[in-house]
Amino acid sequence: MEFEPLTTTVVGDYPKIPNRPRQAKHRLAMARFEKGEITFEELQTVENEVTIEVMQEQAEAGVDIITDGQIGWEDAQTYIAAKLDGFEITGLIRYFDSNCYYRRPSAVARVAWKKPITVQDYRFAHDNSDRPVKPVITGPYTLAKLSVHPAYERFEDFVLDLADALNHEMLALQQERPILIQVNEPAITRYKENAEIFAEAMNRLMRGVKNPSALYTYFGDVVGLENMLKKSPFQVIGLDMVGGKANSEIIKSDAWDKKLALGLMDARNTKMENWDKIFEQLAPVFRTITKDRIMINPSCGLEFLPREIAFSKLAHMVNEVKKHRN
Amino acid sequence: MSALQTTTVGSFPKPPYLQKARNAYARGDIPVEELEKSEITATKEVIALQEKLGIDVLVDGEMYRGDMATYFAENLGGFTISGLVRSYGNRYYRKPIVVGPVEFKKPITVERWEFAQSLTKKPMKAILTGPYTMMDWSFNEYYGKREDTAMALAEVLHLEVKALYDAGARHIQVDEPALSVRPEEVGLAQKTLAVVTDGIDAKFYVHVCYGDFQKIYPRILDLPCHHLDLELANSRYELFEQFKEHPFTKELGLGVLDVHTHVVETTEQVKERILRALEYLPPEQIMVDPDCGLKTRTWEEAKAKLEAMVEAVRQVKKEKHLT
Repeated sequence: MEFEPLTTTVVGDYPKIPNRPRQAKHRLAMARFEKGEITFEELQTVENEVTIEVMQEQAEAGVDIITDGQIGWEDAQTYIAAKLDGFEITGLIRYFDSNCYYRRPSAVARVAWKKPITVQDYRFAHDNSDRPVKPVITGPYTLAKLSVHPAYERFEDFVLDLADALNHEMLALQQERPILIQVNEPAITRYKENAEIFAEAMNRLMRGVKNPSALYTYFGDVVGLENMLKKSPFQVIGLDMVGGKANSEIIKSDAWDKKLALGLMDARNTKMENWDKIFEQLAPVFRTITKDRIMINPSCGLEFLPREIAFSKLAHMVNEVKKHRN
Repeated sequence: MSALQTTTVGSFPKPPYLQKARNAYARGDIPVEELEKSEITATKEVIALQEKLGIDVLVDGEMYRGDMATYFAENLGGFTISGLVRSYGNRYYRKPIVVGPVEFKKPITVERWEFAQSLTKKPMKAILTGPYTMMDWSFNEYYGKREDTAMALAEVLHLEVKALYDAGARHIQVDEPALSVRPEEVGLAQKTLAVVTDGIDAKFYVHVCYGDFQKIYPRILDLPCHHLDLELANSRYELFEQFKEHPFTKELGLGVLDVHTHVVETTEQVKERILRALEYLPPEQIMVDPDCGLKTRTWEEAKAKLEAMVEAVRQVKKEKHLT
């Protein structure tokens, strides 16, 4: 996997609707779908159009490796859980410490993989983008942590079953040979005491996966989990440098033989970054980790921001990063 | 207080004619006076509905508010509005940004409250979004720390509460839905609410929703208020178990209607929820209400849900010989 130094990328979702004067196509279509005025296929047609738009926006911002923006995802849990066996989707609950909500999945029976969940989405994105696209899934640990599991007595059994189920998804994605397959695991930053079961879940998730893969952590730091992450079966580790300030300490050591994807752009606030200051702070890191082993991206998905601000911050990030490539 | 009084959390569905007027106003097709006419008609309808249902403590339905944080941000100094951000499903709100010191310009809700109270002899709740939630639900480009933003907002919202009290409001609700999110910040929420309510002799209600109450209980009992309103229908009453170890010391706003489903609760379901609560608390300590604002439902759904609620309360009171 050869990327250029300081490759820029994103973490997952992209705002589904723009602000006036641009039309909120997706919101309108969803509303009409909910009222039964259009069919699911018609809704999907709109979602495809919007997917192309948001991929074009990421390309326009200059991002090297983009995502499909997860336009069809109601939230990071439901989209995956609803398509696995064993889950029911229940009431709304807050998503981490954000002011967004998700519907909490409930494992009412043993969970199992039925058929590919994200493969079609990836194919569509890949076929409609000039830039490399990476498929992104929510990892088994985060999915388990944000669900309830009446069908399981032990949380551990639930996580491992989910890891086995999503291993099928990883293998199905691998068939498509994407530039990178990404697994998002924000929850591990909040429950470090689960490091052992997390590591086992990652091993099971990655069984037989040879495709370059990334593990993204965010909403906190991973201090104390360094050894586990270093041994994990991924080539790229994503670290949230905004929500996890303490991460700045652990990247100063040179024992990382993986690529590090640094979430340096604050995806949860509108304030524009001062990249001169950011690069000043990064200078000591570049002495131990070469730039070809560092990727730069927002701290988490972009849906916390209004679309236009997400775009400006992203474009600003890419422009500033380019100045430091050599 | 008498047993099992009823209230609602704040917002009611905007009738279709008001929705239309709001859209037309946003497009610049009608003047503000015309929008206000629709808001007044709708407010009257909301109050008439509550009167008819026999609800004890009324609300004005917030016909003139869009999002609960944005509405106050638009009326305070120091804020600008960023753009639409999704909160869940297909719901979006225009998220405010703090761009300078927050300032109280003039009373925001007083005239609306006075008007609503003039339409009924029952107590009319005054409702505002709390400083902690205003801080948590806004972007911040000005203050250094979350605490600084929240405390500045508390000072400003205290002036609004004071103006409401001076106008005659004696039931004042502070909405703090963000409160259950960061257990480590319950202390900050408590500090800001102490500033908001300081020296005001009204009955204070605090509404909290959609979070993990287990993590902030029993600490939320330290909040400076008389009434704690918790969304419970949606979270299946797991919290009650904790009442055994740490007795609930406030008046409980018992959420019995899930506001995020089209399905209308049956009277039996609501009764069961009330009876369950009565295993833990005496009826004088319980006020029955929906989980949250009703604005996401249709008018018909909201009405049917409230009918089920009121009927359930009536039946429970009769069966238990409560007055």
